[in-house]
Amino acid sequence: MRVAALLLAALLTGCTQWYYELGEQLDESRLPSASTEVPLQAVLDQFGPPLRITATNSGYAMAWEHWWIREQSVGFNLGALGADFLSVDYGELHLRGAYVLMTFDRDHLLTSANYSEWNSRGGGGQSIQPFAEIVDVVDSDDIRVELPQHEWGGDLLAPITKTINRQSSTTTGQSGLEQRATPVDIGQRSLELD
Amino acid sequence: MMRLTRFAALLLSIALLQACAQYDNKRGVEVNWQDTVMSGLQTGKSTRKEVMDLLGPPSQVISMDGESALYYLFANSRGEGLILGVYNRWNIDTRYDRAIFFFDDDEVLTEFSTHINDES
Repeated sequence: MRVAALLLAALLTGCTQWYYELGEQLDESRLPSASTEVPLQAVLDQFGPPLRITATNSGYAMAWEHWWIREQSVGFNLGALGADFLSVDYGELHLRGAYVLMTFDRDHLLTSANYSEWNSRGGGGQSIQPFAEIVDVVDSDDIRVELPQHEWGGDLLAPITKTINRQSSTTTGQSGLEQRATPVDIGQRSLELD
Repeated sequence: MMRLTRFAALLLSIALLQACAQYDNKRGVEVNWQDTVMSGLQTGKSTRKEVMDLLGPPSQVISMDGESALYYLFANSRGEGLILGVYNRWNIDTRYDRAIFFFDDDEVLTEFSTHINDES
């Protein structure tokens, strides 16, 4: 009987891991130097088309990115302690990635090239909930959004707040770039809040 | 003996609850900028109309003064999941096939680049 109870407790414990990879790995050693006149075509030949691009007042800004996201959560039922209706959950988000940003002037010559990378905890949480994990304690939805190119044509059909903000929108390719997971309640998107 | 039978039945139930899953998710402009298509394009000669005729409407159009750029994007996500009940694991890999073309004030191709992942 005890063995069965132990087995039941084990069955009510679960660990879930989600791994996401977005884009391809970037190599810092391949980053060109802006001190020499590097033409746009040479950069495109080496890095391929950028994942993000925008026109600027002085030329173009382009970005390449690679993200690796790990969501993991563990939960167990408190049935063994006599509280069948309670579930304890713990979750954690880990982020790793790299970002390359390059700018070009009107003559399509490289003016700057920057590389950054990160490997950090992206948040997490714990909870005691009835029966099962109803509310997620770890969430990376805002990081895994689609690239803005998919939304370009539909922007004019967006809710009025977003449509009014179109001149400042980072999804048009005309008003700047935005990294994933950038908070929307300040900066260029603050007008888009419903 | 009865207990053993019950235990075996329980183990069998657990085994039956295990599962795996696989899916893929494709978004964007269908890839047709393979080398055979691209070989007909030449910087300094090909025009925006020729590119549009070859590839169709792009995902995004970007303009800077008289210049313009056409961007084609095809996102492909592939997911694999292992569901054991006690331990569950999902791997989702998203890759981006893409092409970009720059045109000058006269709508003549100045630079272009394409990238297709091998798995596409």
